[in-house]
Amino acid sequence: MNFGNVGLAELVHPRQPDMEAKVKDPAQEIKRLQRCINDLVSLLALPALWKSKEPSQIVHTLFDVLIRMLRLDFAYGRFKDPTGSGFLQIVRISDSSELNVSQREIGKTMNDLFGGDGQKPFSPIRSKFGDQDISLFAVPLGLEREIGIIVVGCERDGFPVDVESLLLGVAANQVAIGLQEAHLLNEQRRVANELDQRVAQRTLELANANEELRKEIGERKKIEDRLRESEASLAQAQYLSRTGSFSWKVANDEIAWSEQLYRIFDFEPGTPVTIERINSRVHPDDLAAMIERVARARGSGGAFEYEHRLLMPDGSVKYLMAIAQGHPSAEGKLGYMGAVQDVTQRRSSEEALAKARSELANVARMTSLGVLTASIAHEVNQPLSGIITNASTCLRMLSADPPNVEGACETARRTIRDGHRASDVVTRLRTLYSKKEPALESMDLNETVREVMALLWTEIQKHRVTLRQEFAEDLPAALGDRIQLQQVILNLIRNAADAMSAVDDRPRELLVRTERADGNRVRLSVRDSGVGITPQAADKIFEAFYTTKTDGMGIGLSVSRSIIEAHRGRLWATRNDGPGTTFSFTIPCGAEGAADVENHFNAEERKADAA
Amino acid sequence: MDASIGVAHCFAMDSRPSAPKRPLVSVVDDDESVRESLPDLLREFGFDASSFSSAEEFLASDILGQTKCLILDIAMPGMTGLDLQQELRQRRESIPIIFITAQKDPVSRERALKQGAVQFLYKPFSDTALLDALNSAVSAK
Repeated sequence: MNFGNVGLAELVHPRQPDMEAKVKDPAQEIKRLQRCINDLVSLLALPALWKSKEPSQIVHTLFDVLIRMLRLDFAYGRFKDPTGSGFLQIVRISDSSELNVSQREIGKTMNDLFGGDGQKPFSPIRSKFGDQDISLFAVPLGLEREIGIIVVGCERDGFPVDVESLLLGVAANQVAIGLQEAHLLNEQRRVANELDQRVAQRTLELANANEELRKEIGERKKIEDRLRESEASLAQAQYLSRTGSFSWKVANDEIAWSEQLYRIFDFEPGTPVTIERINSRVHPDDLAAMIERVARARGSGGAFEYEHRLLMPDGSVKYLMAIAQGHPSAEGKLGYMGAVQDVTQRRSSEEALAKARSELANVARMTSLGVLTASIAHEVNQPLSGIITNASTCLRMLSADPPNVEGACETARRTIRDGHRASDVVTRLRTLYSKKEPALESMDLNETVREVMALLWTEIQKHRVTLRQEFAEDLPAALGDRIQLQQVILNLIRNAADAMSAVDDRPRELLVRTERADGNRVRLSVRDSGVGITPQAADKIFEAFYTTKTDGMGIGLSVSRSIIEAHRGRLWATRNDGPGTTFSFTIPCGAEGAADVENHFNAEERKADAA
Repeated sequence: MDASIGVAHCFAMDSRPSAPKRPLVSVVDDDESVRESLPDLLREFGFDASSFSSAEEFLASDILGQTKCLILDIAMPGMTGLDLQQELRQRRESIPIIFITAQKDPVSRERALKQGAVQFLYKPFSDTALLDALNSAVSAK
């Protein structure tokens, strides 16, 4: 217990004058000391009141007690602010004090006197406040004044006496302890708060992390679902399109097949697939090419596109089209991935369609017999007329007097010539309209065209058409049926002339051109300066029975196209940059393998489909 | 072909016109074989003949005025036979016209006859048919 500067000895042996006075009356002395003990007990009971109170509340309570207990005029306290780094000052003035000073003045004076770190003595000081003399007694709080200081003021002369200073000491101690406890409690609370906050924060973080995790799981599930769906779709698509897929690791001949591919080959799904097993299904005619292709693929690693047939156990044949792409596997070794499509249906329906088309064209040709006979008749009438006229003249000349033998010979000669012409025309026209598979042989396209143009010369002239020709000089021999191709050329030139029959504001120019074409082919174009065709009509005009002529039968272009296609060629129409249309066909050149022709034909078709 | 009848006809009847000068018949046809064979026959008939490969050529020539009869093709590049017929009407030229054509063309036939053609013959025609037409044409004048 800190009694301030009052030692215990002095307590027991107070200053002489006081002691003498008091000893005279021991009863009073006992009473005084009893009161002191009572006050001490009260002071010692204070901490219980102070539990959980704020520092300022503690000090106020203390001051209440001290002012009453010691009949002070005022009490002043200055102590460290537990919350911050500054100081708190509390001033309490007794209600019964006659002091006429404000709290602020007291505070200021106390600060001046006892503030700072100066080692001020703590013996009582007598000071003037206004017109009053006040005894000031300062009591430090804490062993080194670190907690604060209390200063009490009393106008009583001799203040503080022994018991008063004892009580003040004890009070100071108690309040110091109380303040310390309050501070500690604050600290505890602060730490607890902080802990709570941290826990709350951590909990929030954990909750967030949990949420994230839950979301991620949800996402992953969605992805897995989608993957499953996509796999199912792929399987479905493969089934519907009759396409199977495969992978092949070249190094160890490890082969994996999709279910659809098993179906195509009619193998039990899931069973192991080997090259031998595959070859057992490949059509014997395609087997050699297949083996060679596989051998090539082992070494190269590029892209392969190929076709081959399968011979099934029941004897049926399947047509397959396949593509494969080489790629390095994860270990850097060569592998292939590919797709195989069963195109048997398409192939057979293509064949059926081609057959139907050619049947139709034949029917069309047959029903055009009426037109045919008219056409033949017209072509033949010209020479016939010449024959009759010349023969009539011949007879008259011979029956003249004298007979004009020279004239008769001339007319007879013309007759014979015209007879041959008529025969030629009939022969040509007959073969022109005969139903025959093209007899493909090596032929000169230029010569073929020239013959047609000779046949049509008069007719073209009648249409007032300027006929131009641009024949390639180095044109290679083509593979074709001369008569059938002449039918086509005849048709194209006639159409061109007809297209220009209504043209009056510009020259009627018909250009026939021959030239080399890509893929070892030759091309013939017939270009007119007529009315032209719309892009929509460009393909429609090749349909059977399509015609713009009121008396036309519309078989010319559809027949022409079927002839050209039977030659493995292509016939098409394009608008000119200027007025009119150009009809062109390409046919393969002679001395070519049928397979190459077929491949090129397919490629051209694919190009046209893509265009 | 009734050649024998043609010859008999030739002997039986003096087909030569009575006029001292042989009447001129002009043939307009783009068909070379017609221009080659018809004038000879006409001369055997006793006419003078000249031939033109187009209607324009005929119009441009000075023969027009002397032509007593015109043998005219229908289908020709440029001015057609019917065009020429109309042109001559417009020029108030009343040359009788015999049309010859290789194509069966009833529409043109009707039009030509309506416009005053003497005859409309389809090739090949017999020489007698032609002679009849020529006589009608020349005597009608």
